[in-house]
Amino acid sequence: MVIKAVWIIVLPIIAFIIGVFFLGLSRKVIARIHRRYGPPIYQPVIDLIKLMNQKSISHGRLFDMGVILSLAGSIVLVLFIPFGGIAPLSGSGDFLVVLYLMLLAPLGVALSGGEGANPNISIGISRKMMLSLGYEVPLLFSILAVMTYYKTTSLVEITKAQQHLSWGVIYLPLPAIAYFMILPAMLGIRPFDIVSAPQEISSGPSVEYGGRYLALMTVEHAFHTFIVLALFVDLFLGGGNPFTFFVKMLVVFLLGLFIHAVFPRFRIDQAIKYCWKWPSILALAGLVIAYVVA
Amino acid sequence: MDESLKKELETTFRNVLVSLPEDDRMVVAASEETVLSILSFLKNKGYDHLELISCVDWIEEKKFELVYILTSYSEKEMRKHIILKTKISREKSEFKTAISVFENAEPYERELHELFGINFKGHPKLTHLFLERDYKIPPFRKDFDTREYVKEVFDKIPFVEDKK
Amino acid sequence: MDRTSIKKWFKAPDKMGHKYSLWAVYFCTGCGIIEVPPVITSRWDAERFGVIPVATPRQANLFLITGYVSLKTLKAIIRTYELMPDPKYTVGFGSCPINGGMYWDSYNTIKHLDKYIPVDGWISGCMPRPEAIFIAVTHLWTMIDKGMATGYIKYREKYRYYRQNQEKLFGKLEWPPLYPMEDKNG
Repeated sequence: MVIKAVWIIVLPIIAFIIGVFFLGLSRKVIARIHRRYGPPIYQPVIDLIKLMNQKSISHGRLFDMGVILSLAGSIVLVLFIPFGGIAPLSGSGDFLVVLYLMLLAPLGVALSGGEGANPNISIGISRKMMLSLGYEVPLLFSILAVMTYYKTTSLVEITKAQQHLSWGVIYLPLPAIAYFMILPAMLGIRPFDIVSAPQEISSGPSVEYGGRYLALMTVEHAFHTFIVLALFVDLFLGGGNPFTFFVKMLVVFLLGLFIHAVFPRFRIDQAIKYCWKWPSILALAGLVIAYVVA
Repeated sequence: MDESLKKELETTFRNVLVSLPEDDRMVVAASEETVLSILSFLKNKGYDHLELISCVDWIEEKKFELVYILTSYSEKEMRKHIILKTKISREKSEFKTAISVFENAEPYERELHELFGINFKGHPKLTHLFLERDYKIPPFRKDFDTREYVKEVFDKIPFVEDKK
Repeated sequence: MDRTSIKKWFKAPDKMGHKYSLWAVYFCTGCGIIEVPPVITSRWDAERFGVIPVATPRQANLFLITGYVSLKTLKAIIRTYELMPDPKYTVGFGSCPINGGMYWDSYNTIKHLDKYIPVDGWISGCMPRPEAIFIAVTHLWTMIDKGMATGYIKYREKYRYYRQNQEKLFGKLEWPPLYPMEDKNG
């Protein structure tokens, strides 16, 4: 019980550190791919310190609460996803809980954006909803395939089963590929950064955030990056102890980053068409195969 | 540029001076009354795009010279420029609008109204286009003294430091 | 990072944060903006100084005025400057914002930008080279370190005079005053 309580406090801190490290790493790696020197790897920490010390402007109570709701949703989600076999709040059906909790973060942003009353926010939120409508179809198919194959709705059970046998990506290659294809959309990086397109809608939902609000949003983004990557490693790459888990996350993140660094941006209709076409077909085929095999 | 169009213009309209200074350029100097009919005549001939309306201030002659530049999008052989010039009185500075012939004349005429103070009769919206302030003399006229204006307006605004 | 800078980080983290994370707002006035794309992309790479462009004034704390300022642009500049959160720093880029430059007798170009908003530093030249932006940034660092970059405080304290100057050009402005109009020093 005490150990569980300690993990409940420690795990978000670990997730925060890893998430912020990934943010810094992404800026450095992209700079190196562009043949620039790039910022120091601790640049996001400097940015966060600066943002926390800036004067920030509120647009009403819902504007504040939405940001906090979004951050809280992400922190709770971290406690449900096994990080190297550690999942303090996991129960029998925690996979379903995860799927519900994943909606909290966009919902919080949408609530808070409604109070901001900037047209760019509304466009950004509607794009975000459309995009999640796009990528959730292949996501649900591939997750269903995993659940069907391992005959459980517990993430811990799924990772444990992969410890005995081999990695999930070997038995379920098609859902894994489908998940990886929509990974940029879930992370909000190129070619799917339509939500926060700075050149079109001046960074979309975060257009009215400054100072502390932006700091909280950056932290939320760090947590979100951690969650999406951890889910992929848990489902398909076999979990492992905390260190190997981190290395696997790093590899997946770098692969996503290379795509991010060289691709331009999709339009929203192209993104939806892409999401509903190849990843969906692959995931559906994977689901059928998993049903037949299992 | 073909000679036939030149002949046709000279025979159809009175007081028209047509010259061909270069291969793909024709300059038509016309009197005030015939400008709109020449514009619609040229439009029917295939010169269907109004590129620009410009203005020159001849202060010694006391005239404004309006310059309409036409070209064609529809036919490849006709991608040449026709420059239609006319002089109007500087004191009165009034002219008829060309919106009925070319709809895209609207912003150009607004601009000329703002910078030269020419009133285009029949224009639906002669308001500010670029400028923020009202000027006594429109700023592109030759008798507008920019240095005097700068001295009067910008230099009279004090630095904030100086106020103690 | 050496020992003295680590000491500084512990002594005044807010100051160091503002120093090394200058986010410039995307705002293009005049011709100077042509020097900014090479600065923020691979050729000169401003990101190693912590300078990145952001798309909205709410997130920015550095304002580069790049080139001549016409009256209509000045209106937008004032609004953008007032939207930015404190502390904020302004740098005039090129000779036109300083004294009008080659537009010294123009009827529609602002001659002295610092009559209307406070400016912390100037980069002279027509055009300045992209390296000049980095020199300006490092100068701004020392100014922040010594507490000299106080344009935003001056704007708050002498807001009445700035607003008066702005209204002399535009007539009545269509947005309400940012700060109370009475003078603090009496």
